[in-house]
Amino acid sequence: MRNLLVALLTLTSSAALAQSAEPQTPAVSETQPTEATAAAEPTVDERMTTAEGKVAALEEQNATAQSDLSALKKLKISGYIQARYQYQESLDDYGTGGFSRFTVRRGRLKATYTTDLAQAMLQIDATPSGVVLKDAEATLFIPGTKQTWSLTAGQTKWPFGYEAPQSSSDREFPERSRVIRAFLPGERDRGVKLNGRYDFLRLNIGVFDGNGTDSGTVQDNDKDKDVIGRVGFDLKWIAGGVSGWYGDSLGKLANDEFRTAYKRTRIGADLQVYLDVLPIGGTALKGEFIAGKTFGGANNATNLNASAHGYWLLLVQNLGLSDAVAVRFDSFDARNGAPNVEANGVPGANNTVNTVGVLVQHYFGENLKVSAVYEIPMTAKVADAKDPKDNLFTLQMQARF
Amino acid sequence: MKKTLLSSLTALVALATPLAAQAGTLTVKGSDTMVILVQRWAEEFMKKNPGTKVQVTGGGSGTGLSALQNGTTDIAMSSREMKEAEQEKLRARFSTTGVEIPVAKDGVTFYVNETNPVTALTVEQLKGIYLGDTTNWKDVGGPAANIVLYSRENSSGTYSFVKDNVLGGDDYAANAQTLPGTAAVVNAVAKEKNGIGYGGAAYAKGVKELKIKKGSEEFAPTADNVKSGKYPLSRNLFFYLRNKPSGEAKAFIDFTLSPEGQAVVTKVGYFPVK
Repeated sequence: MRNLLVALLTLTSSAALAQSAEPQTPAVSETQPTEATAAAEPTVDERMTTAEGKVAALEEQNATAQSDLSALKKLKISGYIQARYQYQESLDDYGTGGFSRFTVRRGRLKATYTTDLAQAMLQIDATPSGVVLKDAEATLFIPGTKQTWSLTAGQTKWPFGYEAPQSSSDREFPERSRVIRAFLPGERDRGVKLNGRYDFLRLNIGVFDGNGTDSGTVQDNDKDKDVIGRVGFDLKWIAGGVSGWYGDSLGKLANDEFRTAYKRTRIGADLQVYLDVLPIGGTALKGEFIAGKTFGGANNATNLNASAHGYWLLLVQNLGLSDAVAVRFDSFDARNGAPNVEANGVPGANNTVNTVGVLVQHYFGENLKVSAVYEIPMTAKVADAKDPKDNLFTLQMQARF
Repeated sequence: MKKTLLSSLTALVALATPLAAQAGTLTVKGSDTMVILVQRWAEEFMKKNPGTKVQVTGGGSGTGLSALQNGTTDIAMSSREMKEAEQEKLRARFSTTGVEIPVAKDGVTFYVNETNPVTALTVEQLKGIYLGDTTNWKDVGGPAANIVLYSRENSSGTYSFVKDNVLGGDDYAANAQTLPGTAAVVNAVAKEKNGIGYGGAAYAKGVKELKIKKGSEEFAPTADNVKSGKYPLSRNLFFYLRNKPSGEAKAFIDFTLSPEGQAVVTKVGYFPVK
């Protein structure tokens, strides 16, 4: 503080001398102005008072600026854009179906405001098909837990499994595997969930409307709530968990006169292993299995009371700092125990589908990654039925901020 | 279709220029607490290995760990352990969990002006001061004068350490002045007779180190107290890497952990990890 005052005093007196020199006229000798200036110069006490006033004003300004900055630091704006080119070959020998198109798959904008006790998060998705609300979360960090336990209410991700809660910007493949898209369409719902961790254990459990955000409704269509949760562990190099879902879905099957509550259940297990054994980069091996009843489509109506199961396996190998290659196999059987069928040389709609995907990924700097993916879906065929030609190539550029 | 796929893959491979530093250059980024130590290590290491250039920059532990996740540094210096969210980013981006190497020990030290008669405080008293509940030195045995609080930016590992281990996870008082590095904190406390700040033990020059009271005993951040754990604010100082160290990074880390490297730790004012 003393040094600052001295510096300010020096500056003040230099400025005073400079200003006092200006009114000089050519008629006055060069020695005279010094006396005149000295006579006009304020005393040391006066200069101290002026300097102290200036310092006090600066301190006040600094405090205001810090207060404003402190509030701004709690706000984080982030997001990402996924722009794609996709090519799917024609579905049959006559050139039916298939496409060659550019799309904007995701255009996310997320604002998060975090304090010691609370967090507000809002995420929207802006694409050519419109702007939709993805997340609207109000979170309370339970006092005394150093933010290790929290309660989140609003529209939020279901606490089930690994791939559904994982951010699409982090996932290697452009889309989630078929089993996840069937059992957890949209990945989000309205409800409340408890999130916590103790040492290496993880717990996420919540109560939700149950139909999810892809159901096409903004209000729940029944009074029953679905209970969804995951118990997991994380030992850094290996992590995993088991998940459960128990609830009802209201709908009508062909023989129902009125809408009936059908069980909507899922069980799941997931595992992720991270290995640092190869000199070229890290290796990740991940997998997940889910079995359940009542799934897919609006209000799950398309597969009411139907049992299904599926799984996916993923191997990712990083190559240095900027590149990675990956292979994913996923399998989904839409009707447990039912034989695969065919009609007019076409496999049944509920036949098992296995998909193999290969990916090459490159990072340009910190914020942009390009992925080239080729996926080969193989629908189970019987008799003369042919596997549809639905192989898909996706070239995606993702920019993140 | 095959041609499209092949040309796309070829283009990607051709563009595979690494983000990493050039060969012969090792980048180390992060904790301001560790900068003075790692710079000394770098100087000594480069004398012995003239073909290798070690670039050391601060910015705070959070900045260093963020650079590690983005691939813009080879080694992150951190005065705190990596957080779960940071580890998750590393796993998502590089399929690794990171490698943690303790390279030195430190006792987080609270500094006051040399003219301040207060010599020791309990952790509870420090908590009261930094939460803003205690605002006058007379409440903790000092003169009747308002306490001037100096703190660090939230990217600082020391900021996080004090928040977790002294403030019990609560937020700092709003009037705590945020300064960009430990040197700036020490400088401010040296000039402000009613000031209090905190930082690594090696920075306590021109200010008075406060001892920590535990019951009837008082503990200074000395080598013995830090090593034995009697000093309640002891901590490790870490290097973090994405993968197991190899090449120049391994040579540099081996040097820091060697008897010669650990002697530098003591010279700088921190405490050997071995």
